[in-house]
Amino acid sequence: MTVSSAVEAIVTSEYEHGFVTEIASDTLPPGLDEGVVRAISARKGEPEFMLDYRLRAFRHWQTMTAPRWAQVHYPPIDFQAISYFSAPKSKDGPKSLDEIDPALLETYTKLGIPIEEQMALSGIAVDAVFDSVSVATTFRTQLAAAGVIFCAISEAVHDHPDLIKQYLGSVVPHTDNFYAALNAAVFSDGTFVYVPKGVRCPMELSTYFRINARNTGQFERTLIIAEAGSYVSYLEGCTAPMRDENQLHAAVVELIAMDDAEIKYSTVQNWYPGDAKGRGGIYNFVTKRGDCRGARSKISWTQVETGSAITWKYPSCLLRGDDSVGEFYSVAVTKGRQQADTGTKMIHLGRNTSSTIVSKGIAAGEGEQTYRGLVRIATKAAGARNHTQCDSLLIGARCAAHTVPYIEVKNPTAQTEHEATTSKISDDQLFYCRSRGLTAEDAVSMIVNGFCKEVFKQLPMEFAVEAQKLLSISLEGAVG
Amino acid sequence: MSAVSGFEQWLAPAEAAASGLQWLATRRGEARARVQGQGVPGTKQEAWRYTSLTRLLEQGFSAVAESVPLQPEAIEHLLIPGLEAWRVVLVNGRFAPELSALAGLPAGVRIGSLAEILRTDPDAVKDRLNTIAGPDQPLFSALNTAGLDDGLVVLMDAGTALARPVELIHLSVGSETPRVAQPRHLVVLAAGTQAHLIERYVTLTYALYCTNSVLEVTLGAGAVLEHQRIQLESPDAFHLAALYVRLGAASRYRCTNIAVGASWARTDLTVRFSGEHAACDLQGLYLVGERQLLDVHLDVDHCVPRCVSREYFKGILYGKGRAVFDGCVHVARDAQQTDAAMTNRNLILCEGAEVDTKPQLEIEADDVKCSHGTTVGQLDPEQLFYLRSRGIGAALARRMLCLGFAGEILDALTPEALRMQVTQEVGRRLEQAT
Repeated sequence: MTVSSAVEAIVTSEYEHGFVTEIASDTLPPGLDEGVVRAISARKGEPEFMLDYRLRAFRHWQTMTAPRWAQVHYPPIDFQAISYFSAPKSKDGPKSLDEIDPALLETYTKLGIPIEEQMALSGIAVDAVFDSVSVATTFRTQLAAAGVIFCAISEAVHDHPDLIKQYLGSVVPHTDNFYAALNAAVFSDGTFVYVPKGVRCPMELSTYFRINARNTGQFERTLIIAEAGSYVSYLEGCTAPMRDENQLHAAVVELIAMDDAEIKYSTVQNWYPGDAKGRGGIYNFVTKRGDCRGARSKISWTQVETGSAITWKYPSCLLRGDDSVGEFYSVAVTKGRQQADTGTKMIHLGRNTSSTIVSKGIAAGEGEQTYRGLVRIATKAAGARNHTQCDSLLIGARCAAHTVPYIEVKNPTAQTEHEATTSKISDDQLFYCRSRGLTAEDAVSMIVNGFCKEVFKQLPMEFAVEAQKLLSISLEGAVG
Repeated sequence: MSAVSGFEQWLAPAEAAASGLQWLATRRGEARARVQGQGVPGTKQEAWRYTSLTRLLEQGFSAVAESVPLQPEAIEHLLIPGLEAWRVVLVNGRFAPELSALAGLPAGVRIGSLAEILRTDPDAVKDRLNTIAGPDQPLFSALNTAGLDDGLVVLMDAGTALARPVELIHLSVGSETPRVAQPRHLVVLAAGTQAHLIERYVTLTYALYCTNSVLEVTLGAGAVLEHQRIQLESPDAFHLAALYVRLGAASRYRCTNIAVGASWARTDLTVRFSGEHAACDLQGLYLVGERQLLDVHLDVDHCVPRCVSREYFKGILYGKGRAVFDGCVHVARDAQQTDAAMTNRNLILCEGAEVDTKPQLEIEADDVKCSHGTTVGQLDPEQLFYLRSRGIGAALARRMLCLGFAGEILDALTPEALRMQVTQEVGRRLEQAT
């Protein structure tokens, strides 16, 4: 297959995971007003303080307008046409896998993530989120023995209200931005992790998100707190069934690392990107922010973004503690009519803070991609260091790659470097591989994997394998 | 607030200077409407994100009304020794024939005052004037157009070449009330021509004033322009410069932009390729001292295939100053085989200085080679140690390293006499810093 016909093939390759599981779900009618916010809170049986929090956020959201500055194009979203709550029907909550709806389990199997197998073999605790409510939480006893709290955020609201009161919204306040305010008002569920002082979390924590049920927005809320000297690695992976309407997904993730704590947050995102003409597909407008509050703390973001019609997210680090470290590693693939405006913010506030940004963008077909990043060195951040590298690979003449870095330095002892390149796969590289007997497909796959290697090696092993597979599937065709 | 209320005083004489030319009146009127149509840009606007106009607005500048007669002796110390050039001197934005030197121009070349050409032969500039800047001018270019009056004109017929550089000296003379001068320059080089333009902004007095200049350059096929722009305004002055450059097929344009003076300065350099195989090389140095703000914006538009551009800007910050660099390289769909590289390097010497840099790439074609790089850092302590260990004092060692850093840009200045003069000026300022 020639390279140009190969490119044609990616553009036309269909979404693999397209199917809708038929299970009854308990859904609110579309629309958003105070009544809906109260209804969500009531259905979840939340205490008074959560309802207050939601209402404050909702009232603030009403004063805001949707931001338009990102380099993405989409028709205006009708926020009144979205249903803000959808929960799979359950009786009293499952106590073991046997109680889980078999249709759900089958969905996971189709996606290649058999829960039992993971439980048994890989030792990963899985908090599977089907639509909005956590329906399976595993290995909790083992984690509890270590003192780690790993549960749905709706449970944490009941079981650990003090922690929620103290930390929820402390990194991403409800006034932060339009979608963060919306999320604070209507968030359905999400994950809560608390790692006590000095504890190294005994296993990788993982949540699989899955969007289902027609016309339902998904508003996850994740809160991870790592107390002094602790360590936790969290994996987030997503996939969604094929569908017609656009789905809005506005999640908020907050990470808090105290003295000497480390949080590693990895994402593989493969939501439905829309069809060849750009119809349908997920709008992924996410606010992710980590707060390095303690000295010598570290927060590391790794993301592999291959899905969604529009991705709009900037996982950021607030480096407040002295000697704290922020990292951002990203691979983003846009093909078909996909658009991604993604990057990071590294805000250096403490002394001797350092940050590393490695962003790899691959644009194919008519995909459009923007790296937008901010590195800010505040006046007091003496000795701050930043290194940024963002590279873009272009496959096909109709794609686009933009780079918009902002670098603001207010301290004379800071050192920042930024480099960016944009190029296509060179004919020389291809020719070299082909002349050694590789097919065009293998050659492109090899070159693209090499291009992304720096990011993949940051992923936990199981995820790295999955990510590489995902990348090859995403670029199937282009790769031969 | 509508922009016009803040800038009414800038425009006043445009009415007075209205000529009998219908097309010119229309262009001025359209620009005036454009000024009235937009508000004063705030820091919420991307182009003014890091640069506030508050200080500029507080000054209450008004347009220059009176002309200042000067004797040639008065500017003698400003001339570059040994530089033989066709010289156009503007005083507060107005052509000063007694200070200029234009005798014996070769055939096919016109160099002179815009006001004069508009009076004697307006058709020579009608098709070019204001057409390169285009209809969507930002506020300050529109203000300049609305008050369009005088400036430098260089017109070269196909195949001509100039043996000597063209030197534009824009001289500001302070007055009791703060004045704004809005010179408008036009350089039209037809196919196959070759020229060297030196633009210098200087002052006779340490005064508060504002310069808002616009330069339009168009290069025909294969034309070559070496352009050097030296901004050495008074330390209290405000300086705005917009350059619009359009490059024809296989033309070559090199611009060296040195910004040292003024208390507040902004340069917008817009380059558009309109023919294949053209190349442009934009480089610059900014030196930012106490309470200074220097802002450089680049916009390079590769709208045709197979062109090359290089952007290389360096900055030294030594006081509680602020430098802003915002560069954008845009590669249009189908502008294949574009080769673009942008670099911005900054050296911060002391506490309180700030650099905000934003090098952007917008790429819509796939067969391209584009890169950008930025650094912000300090003098290398090992290099300092090396010099100190050889008996060189701390201050001198720092200055030597800074001059070495700046030298990469300064070395591009020609002729030698100009390079020497600018290097000395940079060295003198660094002396205060180190």
